[in-house]
Amino acid sequence: MKSCPSIASTTIERSEAMPSYKLYYFNARGRAEHSRLLFAMAGVEYQDVRYTREQWPVEKASGRFPFGQLPCLHVNGVMLAQSNAIARYLANEFGMAGKNNLEKAKVDMIVDAIDDLAQAMVKFFHEKDEQKKAEAKDEFKTKTVPILYGALERLLIANDGGDGFFVGEEPTLADFAFVTNGDYVKKFNPEVLDNYPKLKALQERVFELPRIAEWVKKRPVTEM
Amino acid sequence: MPSYKLHYFNSRGFGEQIRVLFALAGVEYEDIRYTQEEWPAVKATGKFPFGTVPCLEVDGVMLAQSNAIARYLANEYGFAGKNNLEKAKVDMIVDAFGDLFKMAIKWYYAADEDAKAAAIEEFKTKTCPAIYGGLEKILVANNGGDGYYVGNEVTLADTTLIMAEDITKRMNPQVLDNYPKQKALTERVLALPKIADWIRKRPQTDH
Repeated sequence: MKSCPSIASTTIERSEAMPSYKLYYFNARGRAEHSRLLFAMAGVEYQDVRYTREQWPVEKASGRFPFGQLPCLHVNGVMLAQSNAIARYLANEFGMAGKNNLEKAKVDMIVDAIDDLAQAMVKFFHEKDEQKKAEAKDEFKTKTVPILYGALERLLIANDGGDGFFVGEEPTLADFAFVTNGDYVKKFNPEVLDNYPKLKALQERVFELPRIAEWVKKRPVTEM
Repeated sequence: MPSYKLHYFNSRGFGEQIRVLFALAGVEYEDIRYTQEEWPAVKATGKFPFGTVPCLEVDGVMLAQSNAIARYLANEYGFAGKNNLEKAKVDMIVDAFGDLFKMAIKWYYAADEDAKAAAIEEFKTKTCPAIYGGLEKILVANNGGDGYYVGNEVTLADTTLIMAEDITKRMNPQVLDNYPKQKALTERVLALPKIADWIRKRPQTDH
């Protein structure tokens, strides 16, 4: 099992004052959790704002969220929107985005592919028609997930045998996006990772990283 | 200079933003365009990581996902934003357009005329105002909005705007009339010499 000494044992050293970060989302893991994992991994403080369903309409109407959606990240006087733009910004700031442009592209392509999976889940989650919902769920299990997880397993193995992380030698946003999305895939398809041994081991490896394990232990327990 | 091979169909679609970036950067690449007949056999070779295109082969390394590829080129050739915060603003704009494209895809694949009409209605009354409206504010906040979305120079955010215009003009042709700064920005980007030149000489395709 590979360790990652450069990140695990140090906090991020900054020559200038640490900016103050405010992450806005609902009381859920959802589209904010990979950003929360990045904060945890980097050992960086932030305000973890979680709106209730009752609070949200008023907050939305304030107009301070660029597209009226969450998550948003407020940093250095700027309100950033879009979950992956936020996560990539944090990953770049904390050195977990990939070590050069080509590595970053590999990280990005994995994050985007996982996002396609998330979109597919949202699609059948919201489907009202029982028949269509059953069909969409079935397509998800028998086609969408195998295609994507098959591809991710191959990409992981191509990285030096697949016993480390998706890109390079240390955890990146790609690994965090994978495990946070994996939480939901498990709900619909509990044994799916049995078919993808390297991905299964990666998931366990990520959750065993000390700072991630610590965060998972102390974070609010939410259904989604 | 690495050797670049772009793999896509003979259309603009989700490949065009990559071609536009190559044009803007003045960088050579092989512009591979598969026909519908060729595609099943090519896909079956398994050389595309997720079985989809566009893909960009960089010295033999196969990158997938149109936005990941576009951002890679933008980073390599200086169109990504000048620091991490600018890059995040560029990314947020590109992702907002991504939401727009998802609606366009929903319309394109709608099962019947009723579904298509419903998709266009949602696109016009909800999607466009939320996204173009939000983007107009972001543009205006950048020094009045007569330059580019982020910083002082053209970035991937601006080239995505012209891609959006191309993809959505069939669904909502006059949408930019409501967003004057973005309308002007679209024209400004299309008039950049390297982009205008590419548009003039590129293969003419239906979409």
